[in-house]
Parts: sequence; C-alpha cells; structure tokens
Amino acid sequence: MVTLASENGSGQKLWRELWHWLKGSWADRMLLLVSLAGILYASQWIHHEVSAGPAMVDIFHDEVLLAQYPFPEAGKSIHFDAEGELGISEIVIDSEGVHFSSSPCQTQYCVLNGHHSESGEVIACVPNRILVTIKGSRKNGIQYDAIVE
Amino acid sequence: MIRSIPRPSLPSLEHKAKWLSMLLLAVSLHVFEAALPSLGPWFKPGLANIATLLALVILGPRAAVMLAIWRVIVGGFLIGTLFTPTFIISMAGGIAAVIAMLTAWRLLPGITLIGVSLIGALAHMTAQFVTVESLFIHQQALYYLLPPLLLLSVVTGWMNGGLATYIVAQLKESD
Repeated sequence: MVTLASENGSGQKLWRELWHWLKGSWADRMLLLVSLAGILYASQWIHHEVSAGPAMVDIFHDEVLLAQYPFPEAGKSIHFDAEGELGISEIVIDSEGVHFSSSPCQTQYCVLNGHHSESGEVIACVPNRILVTIKGSRKNGIQYDAIVE
Repeated sequence: MIRSIPRPSLPSLEHKAKWLSMLLLAVSLHVFEAALPSLGPWFKPGLANIATLLALVILGPRAAVMLAIWRVIVGGFLIGTLFTPTFIISMAGGIAAVIAMLTAWRLLPGITLIGVSLIGALAHMTAQFVTVESLFIHQQALYYLLPPLLLLSVVTGWMNGGLATYIVAQLKESD
C-alpha cells in the first residue's frame, strides 16, 4: 500500500512537472488554437475539393499527367511504369489501393509508403519527380474506366 | 620582426565556444534524426530545432541563423546528402523556420519558447512543401499532404519548445 501510494505520488509529481514545462503561455495557447483551426479548415477544404466523383488515381511526372486510372475490381491489378528523372517507377493499382512497387530513387520512401486508397492521399517520389494522387471517393462507384495516357 | 596577433577577448571566445557546442548538438541531432526509422516520408520530429531555439535565446538572432544554416551543411555532409534535393529541402525548411521563429520572438507579445518552436515547426514544414512544389514536383496536389503533416508539426513543435524551455531553465540554474 505504501509502495502504491508513493508510486501514485511520484506519478502525480511527474505529470505536474510535465504540465509545468509544457503548459506554455496564453499567447502560446492562442497560437495553438489558431494553428489547429487553420489546419482543420485546410483539411476540410481539401477533402471537399478532392472527394467529388468516382475514385481515380492520377500519375504525374512534374506537370504532365502520365496516366489516370479508376481502381480495378477485386482480384485485378494495373501496372504502370512511370518514367521520371532517374528512371522508371513501377506503380501498381489494385483493389487494396495504389502503391509504388519499385523505384530507382536512393531513399525508397515512396516504396516504403505502402498502399494508399483514400481520397486526397498522395504518394510522391521527389528524386524521380513522380506524384500519385487519389481523387474522388470509392463510395461513389466507378462510373467509367477511361484511361488517359 | 614578429608582429603579435591580437588576442580575442574572453567574452568573444566564450560566445564562439558556446556557438560551436550548440552546432555540435544540432548536427548530432540532425544525424540522429536521419538515422531514426521514418515516421513518414516527409516527417522528422525536428529535434535539431531545439539547438536553434537555444542559440536564439542564449546567443542571439545572428548566431541562431548561422547555426540553422551550418547545421544543414555539416549534417548533409555527414549523412551524404550534401547538395541533393534532400539538402535543398532541408535548407529551405531550416532557414524558413529560423526566420519565422526570430520574427515571432521579437514581435509577438507574451510568447514563450513553446510558441516560438510551434511557429518554427509550421514554417519548416510549409517551406519544405513550397520548395518541393516549386523546384521538384510542379503539382499543387502535393499540398493535399500538408494538413496532416502540419498537425504532427504542431505536436512536435510544442514538445520541442517545452524541452527547450526546460534546458534553458536548467542552464540558468547552473550559471
């Protein structure tokens, strides 16, 4: 019991210490509120911008739209080779989402980024200058299967 | 005839020694962050910014700006990213953060190191995106990624500011 009480006491002391160093001033908290409000507004605006229409995967190299695909049916997949500054980035679109299966870049962040399937999600390979974006909602259904290349 | 070299004053030497020790701290944190498992392709906790905050409070604005620049150069040299896109993005973020922090520190009444750090973190992240969009991937869709990463920056900026406040208080106590 004594041990438990002292543990509770030290736990409370730790929280008090943390609160002391992390509470900030009123100006800091105002700044926090303004920042959070700005971020919330921006994310709502982006969500509104990108969620209209059926889900489509856009693949860009710099300003050029290389390809645009809808998500395929379950069990099927689309493989696209996007030629960038360093070489070819292999992009796979399947019912799980879209991902980079290989990339000529050194960091491999784009490959490690894994699958993305939600509207507004982006995978970028900066060294190879390839950008993959998802627009539209999968709930809206696939209304067409046009491919722009 | 041997001309004697003027000896620098003790305060000037002390200032330089403090700046160098902070640079070492900043570079160590920069390299440590690079070695950390990635929390996402665009995200680092910004620990090196703590050294810039300390330099701002202890050594002044000029030292803080120089520290932010040299930290990226030496850090980039050590981790092998010097003059690569990573280096350019990091430099843009570092300079934007230190300018934003200086401005906030001077102009915003009632702000502490926590608020300054928060502004620095937001400026760092935003500048990185603007740099990538304007120099590497010319697609505004890139900004879709920004809000969630700014949210993480708010958290880490606040924590780093708290840590910097604690370090400054400990340093003052030991003086």
